[in-house]
Amino acid sequence: MREMIYNKMAIPISNLFKRKTESFKFKDKEFEELGLKLKKEVDKIFGKSISIRLVDTGSDNSPEIELVNLTTPYYDIERFGINFVASPRHADIILVTGPVALNMLEALKKTYEAAPSPKFVIALGDDACGTGIFKDSYAVVGSVEKVLPVDMKIPGNPPTPEDILKGMLGLMQKIKNKE
Amino acid sequence: MEKFIHELKKEFTKIKTIVNNPDEIYLISEENVFKLVEALKNKKFNLISMFAADNFDNSRGIDLFYVFDNEEYKEILIVKTHAKTSNISIFSLFPTAYLYEREIKDGFGVIFDSTCDTRRLFLHEIYPEKFHPLLKSFKNSKIPVKKKISESEEYVFREVKGEGIYQIPVGPVHAGIIAPGHFRFSVIGETIFNLEIRHFWKHRGVEKLSEGKTPEEGLLISESICGDESVANSLAYCNAIEKICKIRVPQRAVHLRVLFAEMERIYSLLGDLSGMIVDIAYPAGSSPFFIFREEIMRWNEAISKSRFYKGSLKIGGVSSDVSPIVLKELSDYLHKFTKEFTTNVNTILNSYFVSDRFETTGIVKKELIGPMNLSGPLARASGINNDVRVKHPYALYEKIVPSDRVMDKGDVLARFLIKADTIKDSARIIKEVINSIPSGNISSDYKITDGYSFSIVESSRGQNLHFVVIKNKKIDRYKIRTASFCNWYAIEPAVIGNIVPDFPLINKSMNLSYEGNDL
Repeated sequence: MREMIYNKMAIPISNLFKRKTESFKFKDKEFEELGLKLKKEVDKIFGKSISIRLVDTGSDNSPEIELVNLTTPYYDIERFGINFVASPRHADIILVTGPVALNMLEALKKTYEAAPSPKFVIALGDDACGTGIFKDSYAVVGSVEKVLPVDMKIPGNPPTPEDILKGMLGLMQKIKNKE
Repeated sequence: MEKFIHELKKEFTKIKTIVNNPDEIYLISEENVFKLVEALKNKKFNLISMFAADNFDNSRGIDLFYVFDNEEYKEILIVKTHAKTSNISIFSLFPTAYLYEREIKDGFGVIFDSTCDTRRLFLHEIYPEKFHPLLKSFKNSKIPVKKKISESEEYVFREVKGEGIYQIPVGPVHAGIIAPGHFRFSVIGETIFNLEIRHFWKHRGVEKLSEGKTPEEGLLISESICGDESVANSLAYCNAIEKICKIRVPQRAVHLRVLFAEMERIYSLLGDLSGMIVDIAYPAGSSPFFIFREEIMRWNEAISKSRFYKGSLKIGGVSSDVSPIVLKELSDYLHKFTKEFTTNVNTILNSYFVSDRFETTGIVKKELIGPMNLSGPLARASGINNDVRVKHPYALYEKIVPSDRVMDKGDVLARFLIKADTIKDSARIIKEVINSIPSGNISSDYKITDGYSFSIVESSRGQNLHFVVIKNKKIDRYKIRTASFCNWYAIEPAVIGNIVPDFPLINKSMNLSYEGNDL
């Protein structure tokens, strides 16, 4: 194994230039338009960028996979001013997935409390919105609404990257209307 | 196997045998099973699951099931016994049993004597005492939870004491876009001295929820166990139902099922590879793999209308057909994909800082694979191939045999290479499936009958075991044991001696499922 790697040991910088980036052409017109629209709103309302803290309270992990996808080269939503942050202390938005498992109840509340005001809550996915298949189980609260004040619901099993962006745009509208 | 059971019966005269399916043999014992389990252990049987069921054969009591596998035999062997007021723990024979026993204690209130750990498992502090959700006397409904948890009720972690040792608690809410889990490190300087994991934060009551549901409703639940294993789990579930009801699945549907399962394996493992590269702070290197994954997920949508194959399987077949043109295009794409993927893997491995971080990091010892029942790429990277597709072939895997490549180092690099290899092998399998797919129906009619059955499949993370009991045409018990349930505990010994910053990398190299474990 060692040999296989070190035989062809190369300088990493040159590897970077060797990669075929030019073969990667991706333009999803609808997604781009949505993103640019969202960016305008974010610029106006939040002063250029918003920070999101995710709390998974019992989803089946597919919403998380789509959220990770949003940060990958295909979608790259950071260019629209949207960041996922490591701490709720840095967050404008608490994004919650899952039907709020009882075991996660305390952690969800604490995460919400740790975020500075003004703060907004998004419920993402059918489970979080209270329409998923787990809502009647003994082990869950049933929906995020029952625990936190939800500002925007993004339903779907799971919502697609476009759905998530549309939901974010909806939240911006809602905040604007309030003001 | 027959000969073996004959021999066994000479020693244990009182046991009865039931052959439920040709590959599923039950040994029923009314006595304490410790000696029987010990005899099985001496014959190199390995405990792959253990669970309980309430009122299983209308005997108005709790039955315990010990599920065994042996390299020599194709069949799985299940020891079934009545739970007594006190049961002897088999923890001293099979170390993983302490997890199953804690699970059974939470779910059914069955007590095991002389075990090493009596803490609760999936019911955290918030749940009231003496609450056992899986008993039939409890009807699934909202329960009063504890408002305040006193200090004495808090979970006690193993603590390592000594000069200079300190603890780092991590979670349940982590820094990244990831599910919740708690990791408690005991550290000296930067070196990890001990790690204890605590899971089940996402416990949603999957098993209880499925009780009383129709088999069709159960399918939706099986899909929602874990997002990136939805084909694996729903396939295992369908296999079990089809075995019970003796449903013949049309060949075209079998081919499509394998196609879905292998596509799922590819996108799931691509996520692992890109995650590992992100965790060594090399985002540019991970980009191609993220791009591949998105491309594969778009293919998922093109062939099944769902990026996660939700709703694509149904009992007796698949939900929708894939046109020959799409199949041809997919085959062409995979040809191109394999080439580009190989180039990108080689580029990554040519960087010395990658091997610096990957090599000798997080070694999982070969000796642990058997006793801890580790499976999937994790086991193959440590020198043991216990791939279910090879060991207990289902669907098409008898004809289209998966690669049997193993690596023996057991470090992060070995897991990276095995996963890359598995992706290429899955692409090959898909191409073979497309070449040999017959025309015909994609589903068959069926009638639900009562019965019970096991089913094992290989998910992207390893061996997933499902057990379904149908009574009065409704699900009476649905037990799921995903690969992650066992594989999670490999991380505890693997990180010892490594530095804390390598933990995320080791974690990602295994990429285990929180939701598949927590249920």
